[in-house]
Amino acid sequence: MAAGTRSLLVLMAAVLPIHAADPAVDSEDRERVKTVARISPAVVAVVTGGGSGVLISEDGYALTNYHVVGGQGPALRCGLPDGNLYDAVVVGLDRIGDVALIKLLPREPGAKFPHAVMGDSDTVKVGDWSLALGNPFLLATDFTPTVTFGLVSGIHRYQYPERGMFEYTDCIQSDTSINPGNSGGPLFNTKGELIGINGRGSFDKRGRVNSGVGYAISINQIKNFLGHLRAGLQVDHASLGAVVSSSPEEEGSRPRVLVSGLISSDAERRGLQLGDELTRFAGRPVGTVNQFKNVLGLYPKGWRVPMTVRREREGGGTETRQMLVRLMGYERQEQGEAPKPPAQGRPKPPGNPEGGKPPADSPAMKLFEARPGFANWHFNKMARDRLLAGLTAKTDLSSSTGDWVVRANAKLGEKGRDGTAVIRWAAGTGGVPDRVMALIDGVDFTLEPLKTDLPAAALRDPPGSGGMLTALYHFRQLMLKGKSGFVGESSHGGVEPYYPPLEKEPDDWFKSRVDAEIIRASLGGVDTRFQFTTGQGGTRLAGMESVLDKEEDPCEIHFDDYREVGGKSLPFRISVFHGGRPYCRLEVQSWDLK
Amino acid sequence: MGPEVTLLAAALLLVSPAEETLGEVASKVNARLVKIYGSGGVKGLPGYGTGILVSPEGHILTAANHLPDSSDLRVHLADGTRLSAKVVASEPELDAALLKIEDKTAAGELPHFDIAKASKAPLLAPGTGVLAFSNQFQIATRDEPVTVQRGVVAALTTLQGRIGVFEAPYSGSVYVIDAITNNPGAAGGALTNRKGDLVGIIGRELRNDQTQTWINYAVPLGATVASRGTQGRMLSLAELVEKKEKYRPSGRPDRAGRSGDWNVRAGWILVPQVIDRTPPFIEEVEANSPASRAGARPDDLIVYVDGTPVPTIAALRDILEKYRPGDKVQVEVRRQDRLQTLVVELEPPPKSPANPPR
Repeated sequence: MAAGTRSLLVLMAAVLPIHAADPAVDSEDRERVKTVARISPAVVAVVTGGGSGVLISEDGYALTNYHVVGGQGPALRCGLPDGNLYDAVVVGLDRIGDVALIKLLPREPGAKFPHAVMGDSDTVKVGDWSLALGNPFLLATDFTPTVTFGLVSGIHRYQYPERGMFEYTDCIQSDTSINPGNSGGPLFNTKGELIGINGRGSFDKRGRVNSGVGYAISINQIKNFLGHLRAGLQVDHASLGAVVSSSPEEEGSRPRVLVSGLISSDAERRGLQLGDELTRFAGRPVGTVNQFKNVLGLYPKGWRVPMTVRREREGGGTETRQMLVRLMGYERQEQGEAPKPPAQGRPKPPGNPEGGKPPADSPAMKLFEARPGFANWHFNKMARDRLLAGLTAKTDLSSSTGDWVVRANAKLGEKGRDGTAVIRWAAGTGGVPDRVMALIDGVDFTLEPLKTDLPAAALRDPPGSGGMLTALYHFRQLMLKGKSGFVGESSHGGVEPYYPPLEKEPDDWFKSRVDAEIIRASLGGVDTRFQFTTGQGGTRLAGMESVLDKEEDPCEIHFDDYREVGGKSLPFRISVFHGGRPYCRLEVQSWDLK
Repeated sequence: MGPEVTLLAAALLLVSPAEETLGEVASKVNARLVKIYGSGGVKGLPGYGTGILVSPEGHILTAANHLPDSSDLRVHLADGTRLSAKVVASEPELDAALLKIEDKTAAGELPHFDIAKASKAPLLAPGTGVLAFSNQFQIATRDEPVTVQRGVVAALTTLQGRIGVFEAPYSGSVYVIDAITNNPGAAGGALTNRKGDLVGIIGRELRNDQTQTWINYAVPLGATVASRGTQGRMLSLAELVEKKEKYRPSGRPDRAGRSGDWNVRAGWILVPQVIDRTPPFIEEVEANSPASRAGARPDDLIVYVDGTPVPTIAALRDILEKYRPGDKVQVEVRRQDRLQTLVVELEPPPKSPANPPR
């Protein structure tokens, strides 16, 4: 026993120093070193603009900050930790969110890039450890990234915009050192998943060097915009069309968010009223104005998101209402030239030792085409043509230049009254113009869409549909002629949530949402958004919205129950909605395409 | 040997049973902190700060900076509840103030730190990991959690401000930490160990004017400070919190500028010197003092001393350093719109047994 005790003591002496270093910490350290080695190759030194970035796909797409590449021109030079310089091109820009998507060109055709894996930033918690990689002070001439390590200090942070740009909503705050040159670089969790893009700090008196307070744009926000960015868009953020403010500051009060102003908007048309208390927005509870602005900033203009309000009932008590609201734009008007980023607030190095500018004959210029409203029209055209090619692969109607007829049983109006419907698209020939006709329950409607000076009511026929005939004319143009069917515009509109029509209002709209790629088309002053799903069944037209007047609800048409007819995939259920109410639902009996 | 090694390893693992994650620690600490709002907004002086709940009734420990001087002092609890607060006691020697929320409905069962217990814990050695919690930069509002940063105790040392280099609001032991807490609004925040036990209160923004460097420090809960004004009585944060309304301050004027006890005594107490250019307004006149005998009144602005203009409190002090007790000095003050001439016969400053360095 005595010997046992002595050996225990000896052992204690031997173990204590090890314990002081904590074996768990030791293994954490080793894991971290491995993680850093794994994620480093994807970190980009954005030489033009003097910042950082991170590759997110093997074909060379990389994220950085708008304030790094904005105003630098479309062609860039970037360095990777393999020590090489790469040509790169600006693809998409988000000025308000301070995000830019760029594409690096491989040095050998078809060569693949190392890239980061995107995580779920909604799972990030205060107290988590985080890793920032990047190019602070442009230290590494061989582009080996600098690694800093620190604590997540706060989540769901809101940082006010500067001069209308760089509004950091729902961002991740960390004490991980962020210095000039870290801008645009990745913030990783300890698993090595990309959780944010570093871009801003509270610098105050220290002149843009680390103050222990850095902010990263959450990767989940960027995911919402990624479809837009990949489509070469200059994206806009969202506004609600209503002013919300904190409830009167009473002593001992908990915060509440009340609607204190309303403009003509989808929110108003969906029934939002002054004095409504906003309780949930886009799937998140809302208790303060900051929380509301945080959630609003996550979404692009034009997205439809669910919203819940609480309202005083007239006879006393309260009622809760859920509505699906189409968000308005944030920027007052499209601005042409990008303004210079303001000088304060973001870590950007003062000078650039590499000179940075790519040569005028950069191969990146082959991947660039300028067009107002787009960051890079070349990428938009590619995205649009790819999407339309997918549509044609399943349903090629380009040779059906004659009349089209759909016969259907119909459920009419909100009550779903039984009836019949015939839709006829008559091809114009020899002086007879194109016509779209609908015979609904014995009532005849005809639209000559190309006729000038059409009365407003004719475009909106049949009454209550919001312009079904006009929308169906756009449908034929798309299916028959594709992009050339629209004189005004046909472009890719990024990715939006699409909500299939449901028999009953769901508890949570977000659960029924499907990601849809958008084609924006314009003809005769009417703007249509075609919504495509691109799942396993191939590219399908799921829905369309035709806007006859921005102050009015669009005519919405949904297509489903696709079946094969003569080698073409065609919808056998067509549902028409206007202002949230069903106009008719057609159960198609036959498609007759000439 | 074999089984013993195994046993010992098991014992070591049990030393830290089911440790809380840093996130759990952060949320526990955050529930015991408040965001403080008051007067400010002048350059370099934020209108916001941080405080630590130290009683279930809503007593709040914070820094004795300009914020507690606000007439309209408000706090936001961790759940977003907004309440008014009043100053209960203030101790300039510790640079600490004790506030109390006024609403009685919210008070009674508030989560709080037990300062009496926490102040008995041994001081942290350099190298110990710490967490710093504060609402720096006013990043959080209402129910949003305050900022948490990580660091280590770099040194346990004595803070000694020196005139002309930097004037510290506090002279005594401090933790110097490597977390960057030297930011607006951080003063009064909580320094905890990695388990969330309160170990100190985050100090103010402080800069060494010679090296242009900023120091991140916190006053340890267990710190005791000798005071000139209390005949050697040792002051501590625990005493301030324990005695609350009954706390007897050291009587030392605010080191940041309330004046009187320089090398000579006039018996006027000036407004706090919140910025370098604070003008010498008289806030109070001590009874039976040279100033009261000369007819000085609160709200008088001292404009000239023996014909020399004194635009700031700092200028007034520079001039008075040339005088000796017993000297008669002609002071012109602006009272409403008129200049008044007072003759003040200066006295020796009160005796200070401890005489800490300034």
